[in-house]
Amino acid sequence: MVQIKKKKEIEAKIPDAGMSDIVFLLLLFFLVSTTIDVDTGIGLSLPEYVPPEEQEFVPLSKDRLASLNINENGDVLLDGDIIAIPQINEKLRPRIESKINLSSKKKLVVSVKTDRRTNYNLYIQALDQIKFSYAEVQKAYALTAYGKKFEDLTPEENKVVTREKIPIIISIAEPEKIK
Amino acid sequence: MTFKKKRANAKQEIPTSSMPDIIFMLLLFFMVATTLRERDVYVKFKLPEAVAIQKIENKRLISYIWVGKSGKIQLNDNLVKIEDIQDIMYKKRVELPNVIVSLRIDKESNMGVVHDIQQELRKADARRINYSSMLKQ
Repeated sequence: MVQIKKKKEIEAKIPDAGMSDIVFLLLLFFLVSTTIDVDTGIGLSLPEYVPPEEQEFVPLSKDRLASLNINENGDVLLDGDIIAIPQINEKLRPRIESKINLSSKKKLVVSVKTDRRTNYNLYIQALDQIKFSYAEVQKAYALTAYGKKFEDLTPEENKVVTREKIPIIISIAEPEKIK
Repeated sequence: MTFKKKRANAKQEIPTSSMPDIIFMLLLFFMVATTLRERDVYVKFKLPEAVAIQKIENKRLISYIWVGKSGKIQLNDNLVKIEDIQDIMYKKRVELPNVIVSLRIDKESNMGVVHDIQQELRKADARRINYSSMLKQ
């Protein structure tokens, strides 16, 4: 009798040796195409819009106000004195520091005013200097008051420093109209 | 006298069977972290440089406004006129109350256009802005 050979079943297998290679390729693609670029810049909060008819004039004592003017030629005026942009930091710092312990209504207000034709880059440089001097004062204060770095402060302490002690008040004045 | 070299009896192989799993995890991380939808920018611009800059943590909150060398203005995906900014940003703000507007303005621009945009943003009540700038090296 002829023996009927049972057909041997072929084992079904998906070859998975190359899988890791494929996954590697995918990984590489995503690695290369990913841009983990963070948006960096100078943050600011604009004031609420008030129509010109309703605008009120709030008197501000001269002692509180640091007014910074930049004209279209790039000349910088801080409280009436012509200075260079890199000097803003050293001029502002003592004034910010002197007001740390005053009430919130007596803190320094930095007012930045430009012409319509002032170069944007100059404006950013000036704003940068102002921000920088505030940041330096905040850092120094964190170190003396809490004995730690500004970055290591707890949220509450951070709030005290940035809201109560050294709030950053920058006022952007409307540029003067040139005819 | 011959010395027998001491060797551990254990297999000297690194188990690689779970390598694909690990790579898959890495892959998943990158897929999630990637923001593929890059915006087409129609204007030419060069950002100013600054030192005291901050990061914007939440990318989903950002709306972009570009101002190019030629004075063209692009809001998110389209080129717009200054007068249109108010309407568009107001709608955006209704959807996303704490929207941050990232201003990517060419450093040779004039303050006039910057001021006009700011006025529009104030009218639209989108008041959190960020002057995008690069870190000065």
